[in-house]
Amino acid sequence: MELEERARDSADNCIACTSCVAVCPVTKANPDYRGPKLVGPAHNRMHFSDESDYEDSLKLCSNCKNCDITCPNGVSVATLNMLERAKYYKAHPEKHTQADQMLSHNFQMADMLKSIPFGRSCANLGMSIGEAMGMMGAMGIAPQRKSPRFATKYFRELYKEIKQPEGLTKEVLFFPGCFIDVNDPEVGVAFVKVMNANGYKVLMDDRFKCCGSPLVVGGYLDEARSHADSNVAVINEYAAKNIPVIACCTSCSLMLKAEYTELFAQEEMAQAAKNVYDAFEFLTILADQGELKKVQVSSDKKFIYHAPCHLRAQGMGMPAVDLLKEIGVNIDSADAGCCGMSGSYGFHKENYETSMKIGSELFDKINASGAHKVVCDCGTCREQIKHGTNAKTTHPIQVLAKAYEQ
Amino acid sequence: MSKSDVVVIGNGFAGLMSALVSADQGKKVTLLSYGAGTFPLNSGVIDVLGYDDSGKAVANPAQAVGAVADEHPYKKIGTQALEESVKFFQDVVAAEGFPYVGSLNEQQWLITGVGTLKPSCLIPESMQGSKCFEASEIVLVGVKGLKDYYVDMVAENLAKELGNDKKYTVVTVDPHYKGARDLTTKDVASWMDTDAGYSDFVSQVKESAGAGKVIVVPQILGLKGNVVWKKIVAELGCPVVETTAMPPSVNGLRLRDVLLSALKKKGITVIENSKAEEAVIEGSKAVAVKAGGEVRLQTYNADKFIVATGGFYSGGITMRDFGEAKEVIFGLPIECDCVEERWVNKQLFSDKKQTFAKTGVRVDATLRGVNESGNVVLQNVYVAGRNLSGYDFCFEHSGNGVALASAYKAAKA
Ligand SMILES: Cc1cc2nc3c(=O)[nH]c(=O)nc-3n(C[C@H](O)[C@H](O)[C@H](O)COP(=O)(O)OP(=O)(O)OC[C@H]3O[C@@H](n4cnc5c(N)ncnc54)[C@H](O)[C@@H]3O)c2cc1C
Ligand code: SF4
Ligand code: SF4
Repeated sequence: MELEERARDSADNCIACTSCVAVCPVTKANPDYRGPKLVGPAHNRMHFSDESDYEDSLKLCSNCKNCDITCPNGVSVATLNMLERAKYYKAHPEKHTQADQMLSHNFQMADMLKSIPFGRSCANLGMSIGEAMGMMGAMGIAPQRKSPRFATKYFRELYKEIKQPEGLTKEVLFFPGCFIDVNDPEVGVAFVKVMNANGYKVLMDDRFKCCGSPLVVGGYLDEARSHADSNVAVINEYAAKNIPVIACCTSCSLMLKAEYTELFAQEEMAQAAKNVYDAFEFLTILADQGELKKVQVSSDKKFIYHAPCHLRAQGMGMPAVDLLKEIGVNIDSADAGCCGMSGSYGFHKENYETSMKIGSELFDKINASGAHKVVCDCGTCREQIKHGTNAKTTHPIQVLAKAYEQ
Repeated sequence: MSKSDVVVIGNGFAGLMSALVSADQGKKVTLLSYGAGTFPLNSGVIDVLGYDDSGKAVANPAQAVGAVADEHPYKKIGTQALEESVKFFQDVVAAEGFPYVGSLNEQQWLITGVGTLKPSCLIPESMQGSKCFEASEIVLVGVKGLKDYYVDMVAENLAKELGNDKKYTVVTVDPHYKGARDLTTKDVASWMDTDAGYSDFVSQVKESAGAGKVIVVPQILGLKGNVVWKKIVAELGCPVVETTAMPPSVNGLRLRDVLLSALKKKGITVIENSKAEEAVIEGSKAVAVKAGGEVRLQTYNADKFIVATGGFYSGGITMRDFGEAKEVIFGLPIECDCVEERWVNKQLFSDKKQTFAKTGVRVDATLRGVNESGNVVLQNVYVAGRNLSGYDFCFEHSGNGVALASAYKAAKA
């Protein structure tokens, strides 16, 4: 059922104060981008009938949400941009590039490779060769980057091999998301360890699909809607059984918690959102109730933390940093704004320069920090950090899992 | 979330200063922020009092503040707290390498973005319009492609203000900008932050600079405190003065960044995008506020709360139906002359204060909300900034001054 309050109507709250323009990282890095106020709220209001009427620079928005974080009037600026973008591609499907197609549909590739014997090794080899031969550039993908490799076993496979302790009475459902599932499954393994140590059994449900974030950014809104509908149905099914759904990727959790409802304004989505938690949000609730496993870290290794924009947009501070500090980890937030990657955005060849420019402040801070590792909840932020610095990266849940092992 | 000593709600000038003063008292502080406050709008200059109740220009803010009406926040705050707050602020920004000049005993002069002069009390070194008073020649620098800055008009108006016995020269700098959109002062300031941009700019104005002259530029001297200003003054060998700016104001952003940096050093936790929605009250005390994103609220427990949510203008006070003004989080008592005929003074730029602008939380001298009989309603909830009743910041030019002094007093209480 359609909700009465729709984010798409929030353009009317815009008072043109330009706060969003002042913080938009793309506006700062790329003089061709007209900025959030103009391409979002203003354009939305001018844009009456003609679907082909389009602001060219709209494709430069990365959906990083810094505009939303800064807007004093609750305008869903980034979502307005994404809705406008989708309208445009609906009128001009031929404008979608090969890179749009690939980067928005990585989940299809991942499923296909899994079904072919040695598919993943071959694909990884293919990527190495492709990168070496400069084929990525021809496909519209930034040739400077190393594409994340497919894990030889996805998390959905590793999960089946994990022996969770008997007799755990409480349960949570894990939403791994594509990056953790196919590229970085060790994060999922660490999550299971942490939840088990706190008395929770971790469930998986094969009906979950990609959260749809890359589809939204690529302008494939109808597909994103179908992903949203099936994920929301699963989440609500577990909500009825009082089983919370937890994600370790902050872009996935933002999608499930906020963006579905903003984009599509359906009551079921708003309902499902209430049953979704970011991992450290959930652990903090346990800590507040005195139910979190106690542990004290004695190592003085120094960590630096990067807060993903999609976490900052969730309005709950930095629960991972607070929790890790609490157990004695020497960790400090870099506070250096957006890393510039924004999911698949920085992988596009034409966005590469903008993406690296945006990240430069963070790279400088990391390089100057002398930290042992960079901690960050977002997989593609970690890719960007590895690319822009020589630092090692990790997910905060891995730091906690390690603390539990000692 | 572990309990704080103080939770500050709102991240405008009043909120950031409340947090800093509280932390300076050794308190553990959490700041709930939503949006970016009025910084990008107000040029980051601190007006204390520009005009008195009769609309007369104030020459000595300290004296004039002593004579305000009983309902005015300054009366409740008192001159001692105001003086201390000014010192506190100047120490904070100076420690961050971004000193503000001025004192309560005189006004400073700003050159506006259209070339008129305007009084203010505490301003950054780069905006001292008074440097022009002694100069024999004013060199006005425009920037090619810069939106909303008409250098010829600035020159013309400034000549009217400062007199025609000075020489006025206009120089237009080309930033070699190739982007598809209009340039803002922030774009030019970013360019000035790069070595290449800085040298390019200097090479284009150097010839026009020299002893006895003053260079007037739009608000473009970098985004990081006064780094670029210091360098360029030394290099050009004469004063360089920035005008005020259209939003987003570069100096407003500088001040915000500098204060946020001070907050970080004090270990203050800032929660972004976290709108406080409701309070948990026990008896005559608040024990927590609930704040957060769309889906669920987090609970922030504390011994003390400072509400710096910006009044009508920033959502701290709302009025769904006429006459039903409401402080949204704690339901603090509102003082409001809610009679339709008196609500708006139709002459927007008239010589009278606007009734709607004076609407705010009714407080006593401790800055806690009080009911009509003058009794404090919540013992540990203090109010700062534009939430306060009894003044019209726009009419009297006192916005950031009231914010600063009330923040200081609320935090010290
Ligand atoms: C265009 C303009 C120009 C001005 N120029 C000057 C000038 O030159 N000199 C001067 O001294 N003054 C000036 N002022 C006035 C000055 O900006 C304000 O009076 C002063 O800064 C108010 O500060 P504040 O912190 O009380 O409020 P704000 O700056 O309004 O800050 C309040 C903050 O609280 C947030 N907030 C609101 N509700 C909640 C909630 N429930 N939970 C969490 N956060 C919340 C808001 O989003 C906002 O960020 C100007 C004002 C305007 C509008
Ligand atoms: S989502 Fe990010 S890139 Fe897009 S307009 Fe907002 S701040 Fe700019
Ligand atoms: S910050 Fe919000 S109100 Fe201000 S211009 Fe942007 S969208 Fe409009």
